Amino acid sequence: MKNNSSFLTKNRGILIFFAVMLLAPFLIGLFEGSTPLMIWGNQGSLSKFIEGLGIEIFILALFALSFDLLFGITGLLSFGHAMFFAVAAYLTGIALKTLAMPFWGVVLLVLLAAIVQALLFSLVLPRVKGITFTLVSLGLASVFHIIVMSSDMINLTGADVGLQGVPVPAFISPVTERLRFYVIALTLLVATYLFYRRFVASPTGRVCVAIRENEDRAKMLGYNTTIFKVVVMIISSLTAATAGMLHALYQPSISPSIADLGFTVTGLLIVLIGGVGTLSGAIVGAFAFRLLDFTLRRFMGESASFITGAIYVIFVLFVPYGIVGTIRMRQLRTKPGWQRLLGMVKPKN
Amino acid sequence: MKTNLRKNSKAIIILVIIAAFLFVAARGMSGRDVLITVLRGFSTGSVTFLVAAGFSLIFGLLDVLNLAQGTLYMIGAYVGWTVYVRPDTFIDVLTPVLLILAGFSLSALWGRLASRIQLAPKARKIISWLLILAGLGLLALVLTRYPIAIWNLNNYSESPITYSYMADQGLRIIPAEVTFEKISPFLAIAGLLVSSAISAFGIALLNRNESRSQTINWRKFLVPALLLLGGILAAVFNAQITSWMFAMSTNWLFVIAILIAILSGVGLGALMETTLIRPLYSRPIYQLMLTLGLGTIGLQIVQAVWGRPEFVWPKPEFFTGTGGACPATNLADLLENNCSTVFLLGGRVRVYDEIFIPIVGIIVLIVVWILLKRSRIGMIIRAGVQDRQMVEALGINVRRVFTLVFALGVGLATFGGALAAPSTGLTPVMGERLLLSALIALAIGGLTSFPGAALGSLLVGLIQQFMIKYGQIGIPLPFTDVVFKPSPPLVPASTVLLMVIVLLILPGGLLGSKE
Repeated sequence: MKNNSSFLTKNRGILIFFAVMLLAPFLIGLFEGSTPLMIWGNQGSLSKFIEGLGIEIFILALFALSFDLLFGITGLLSFGHAMFFAVAAYLTGIALKTLAMPFWGVVLLVLLAAIVQALLFSLVLPRVKGITFTLVSLGLASVFHIIVMSSDMINLTGADVGLQGVPVPAFISPVTERLRFYVIALTLLVATYLFYRRFVASPTGRVCVAIRENEDRAKMLGYNTTIFKVVVMIISSLTAATAGMLHALYQPSISPSIADLGFTVTGLLIVLIGGVGTLSGAIVGAFAFRLLDFTLRRFMGESASFITGAIYVIFVLFVPYGIVGTIRMRQLRTKPGWQRLLGMVKPKN
Repeated sequence: MKTNLRKNSKAIIILVIIAAFLFVAARGMSGRDVLITVLRGFSTGSVTFLVAAGFSLIFGLLDVLNLAQGTLYMIGAYVGWTVYVRPDTFIDVLTPVLLILAGFSLSALWGRLASRIQLAPKARKIISWLLILAGLGLLALVLTRYPIAIWNLNNYSESPITYSYMADQGLRIIPAEVTFEKISPFLAIAGLLVSSAISAFGIALLNRNESRSQTINWRKFLVPALLLLGGILAAVFNAQITSWMFAMSTNWLFVIAILIAILSGVGLGALMETTLIRPLYSRPIYQLMLTLGLGTIGLQIVQAVWGRPEFVWPKPEFFTGTGGACPATNLADLLENNCSTVFLLGGRVRVYDEIFIPIVGIIVLIVVWILLKRSRIGMIIRAGVQDRQMVEALGINVRRVFTLVFALGVGLATFGGALAAPSTGLTPVMGERLLLSALIALAIGGLTSFPGAALGSLLVGLIQQFMIKYGQIGIPLPFTDVVFKPSPPLVPASTVLLMVIVLLILPGGLLGSKE
């Protein structure tokens, strides 16, 4: 076998995913009898609904990707990751609604806030390791959740009702221009995934993996591990902020539940379903989680979250490597089998 | 002494600074306010301590950060409330629980039998899982038909809120009894026992290697037999026990409620450790994620059973007297009239919230301290914290100690919940809030240090209460006329700030070991 390492072959999976997801609304439109042209003009209810579900999945996948980079690749388990997401979502909402800022200004502001937040978390990084870091991040995020929920901020955040009525710029309004929103979210996800793959394969990314495996050894080799951790934190925070911004633009209201521990657990669950430290697992996990949640909620109502919790426990106990991780582990065993099967079909030369 | 001082210089400096802050903070208030705030701080600190102590015991010995502790605290409160306000529900639930426990405690005996059965490993696995599933399915079938008198969340006049309100007014609604309609009592009891025994056999078959060396004597039959007897007695004398409990003085009912809450915590803890935590000792991060997930599931279950709205746990008679010489000015008056408040330095102090809870906290601190320092089990625990492998090498069954410590830690958390609920009320967010306080207390005091947990909890309680007090009276900022009033959200924020500062200076916490 020749070692073909061009960009297209290396990223075959994600590119096929990109193409399929781009075509999906049009194909689904055919089922309900609307032509691709109608879909282009944002008509057809079924495909619009599918696009909406897709956007939610992409947002969750972006969030889970950023979590996987932090936890799966670098080994920093943060229980305050939802804060990155929620700060961006609330900031977008407040900047658009209360401050009436221009859209691109809001984007810049949110990204800047993401970096500042990452630096705030990084402040404790050099001193605090392992479980204590988890505790500190949990504490910081809880404070944010409490502040969002408090009645003092009701004019800005809407307290426990949530932030409602955010004026979304017309050109990406999820009501009238949903296809465009869908394509933007998809493109952002694919671009982020490609960047992450490249990042993990780069020398910087390798050091991050080394930090996960054994931080003291990485230090001994002469790497200033703190700087690498800060870099990862900033990248992760920027990605989570992007997801949060999309969430704020897409959802009709921003509920404070995205700031609590439960949302971090959701991210953790997605990464766990997909496979910790696999990157592509985040996307697979987001699909599995959202579709499962959707189906359960439809048929079981309120008890769905209980079943989701049970699935979480089952995954922790019995499928610790997740879907992607398990497949990759089995691949060594299944590959010869596949080749034997193919050899039976193919004429031997 | 001198080296000791020098070693802990940073911790001492931080403590001195905090003490100075508290002193300065106290200067702006009248003596009455200071006293009440300090007492409230002790009260909050005691409840936090109960949860944090369990946390630090578990983390110290097992290296498991039990993030479900907050939810377990909440479960303790809700279980205690059920026993106190609805004893009939409690007695109805008692029978199935005892019978299922009896069935599962046969598992040790089954192990002996299971080890005789020779099967291929794969077949053994499949058969045991099938047995477990069949047992659980049968159990579900019986349980859904088992009659339990319970509140109705959809009907306001039968909701927990109404029951606790009426109990608070001294008018206990005695709900209608439910009878065996869908299933005959004999069938129900037999079904519960048989189905749990089948699952227990499946479990025994699954891990036969562990129980091979056990011998069988009559003592092994004692626990299942007692549980079985208890379950059947509770079923037969259901009506009598219920009416007896409804007629009982609320003081004794309160004691029973607290005891049941502790027992349920111990049971839940043992169950969690043996079934879920134990397979994951080689993967600590997954343990962390598991306990987090369990906490979330537990929260969902509590919300599904008891509902989302807030309700109160009425205090027992001993703390609610108002007539006669109340508010009491001396101890004799207090004891004679069971006053709800006393006069101290000219201020009214609530007996239950501000005197009783701190006293219980201090008693628990002393008891656990003696248990750790003076008993054999405490010695094993301390040795295990130092070096687990060495203890194992000395021939001590560390596994059993692990289960015990986990059960004890969870029991402390549920105790805290049941103790705090009459003063704070029951809400679905109480667990999350307390988990945060306990984590902060632990991080400040040092994760594995038991005295650290006590010190951290006390600091967290005091700071929270002082911030709340200042939220009411305001802080005059120096050199200006502005009065700054910290709003309620700043209360947890201030403690988190303290935690971050302490951790930046001392990553191991104030009394933690240096790494």
